[in-house]
Amino acid sequence: MPEPILSVAGLRSGYGRTVICDDISLSVAAGRITCIIGPNGAGKSTLLKTIAGVIRPMAGSVRVGGVEIAGELAAQVARSGMAYVPQEANIFRALTTHENLAMGGWIDESRTKDARDKVYAMFPDLAPLAKVPAGNLSGGQRQMVAFGMALMLEPRVLLLDEPSAGLSPLMVAQMFETVRRVNSEGVAILMVEQNAVQGLKSAHEGIVMASGRIVLQKPAKDLLTSADVSELYLGSRT
Amino acid sequence: MSLQILINALVNAALIAPPAMAFSLLFGILRFPNFAIGGYITVGAFAAYTLNVPLGLPLPLATAGAMAFTGLVVWLAHVLVFKPMEGQSAVTLLVVSIAVTLILESVIRLFYSADVRGFDIPLQRPYRIGEMRITKEQIEIIVLAVAMGTGLHLLLRYTRIGRAMRAVADNPMLASIRGVDAARVTTFTTVLCGAIFGLTGVFAGLDLVIEPLVGWNLTIPIFAAAILGGIGSPYGAILGAIVLGLAEELTILVLPSTYKIGVGFVIIAVLLLVRPQGLFGTVEIKK
Repeated sequence: MPEPILSVAGLRSGYGRTVICDDISLSVAAGRITCIIGPNGAGKSTLLKTIAGVIRPMAGSVRVGGVEIAGELAAQVARSGMAYVPQEANIFRALTTHENLAMGGWIDESRTKDARDKVYAMFPDLAPLAKVPAGNLSGGQRQMVAFGMALMLEPRVLLLDEPSAGLSPLMVAQMFETVRRVNSEGVAILMVEQNAVQGLKSAHEGIVMASGRIVLQKPAKDLLTSADVSELYLGSRT
Repeated sequence: MSLQILINALVNAALIAPPAMAFSLLFGILRFPNFAIGGYITVGAFAAYTLNVPLGLPLPLATAGAMAFTGLVVWLAHVLVFKPMEGQSAVTLLVVSIAVTLILESVIRLFYSADVRGFDIPLQRPYRIGEMRITKEQIEIIVLAVAMGTGLHLLLRYTRIGRAMRAVADNPMLASIRGVDAARVTTFTTVLCGAIFGLTGVFAGLDLVIEPLVGWNLTIPIFAAAILGGIGSPYGAILGAIVLGLAEELTILVLPSTYKIGVGFVIIAVLLLVRPQGLFGTVEIKK
């Protein structure tokens, strides 16, 4: 397995004094997709927020490319080569598509034009919507804007919190296709997904969380065929 | 409706629009209705008066000095009062902002008494065009307000800091995730808005009088214009100021002018019932 680009060790976090996830250790290798599944309230989104610097960890380590970033604010984590796409409120509604993408490249605007052209090439549907306020776009288009914004700085690691949430079945298929396409360009992806079957089918590695802890870590295809996981988290058999 | 009413409404709107835009910008960034604006405007008026009358500076220089001083006062109020209270409810911060206005007015009253004052400017007859009359100061207020509105528009639309201000007002968490230093944006916004309140103090001194309640008397019309346009929408605030200015002047046709200030309250009450998001605001749907 290639060297990990993202390593998390002994991470504990939560809100106030309430611990939501504890003793989390995982790694994502360069160019790989890892999908985290688990029931509601398992702490999946809290984990992603903590890695992204939105929530300060209570303990533990987060390393991107070997550099420690645990405890850094989100604005500083953005400079580490890791980009985070939240599940909700992941666009600037009052800003146009063009301006949203520019905000994605905020840290280094010298690259904005080239990066924006690449994003429009990846999501051709967005180009005609460049001057439309993002709040007026459909759910699928908004998700493309959110994705595009995160890709503006050509991150090495992408954190995706339920990228398929709220999308129509057709859009869900397109979204996972996009995830695979972004990954094929060498971007490591750590995603949380309620649509466990689709998420694991797109991933190389799978993680199952429950009650704030990691209970299983295996190749995604093994989780898909595991009888226990299938019964608990995947609904009917694949 | 005579042309004079339109001119008066325009002057009213020019007086209200810049601070209503600033009020909306501050609301967008800080997420509470800041009623300290009355105190800030009074500070601006008295700072300009001090530079212009006791210190003898020409009014344009005194205006620049008052804008800088008020910017500093608004920033200090943010750092010393509002920032330490981050996380408190909007209602708590609103009440605290009223206290800030009362403190600023009391300090001014302590040093300057409650006497009515004016700038050291030559008295001039108003210009007459037919039945219509307008003073040189009123023309200056309109021109400066238009310049201020245009400048703010250019800043918000075409500059990096303007885009950051809109992004932080829209979605502060996402702005932070994308690397925007929200603290620097907040500092810039408070100083900029402070300068606008300082300019409004000068406008008020030119069109009304300089006294410790000058800012407080403008607070309700400014608030009404801001929510009329959709609180948090700086462009809506301009339209809100024009509608309010016109409504106030039309009121004088049927009621004594002392009831003029009531127009703001009526507009607030009607809007909260009929269209709480204002003319340009959007309804936020919570999942």
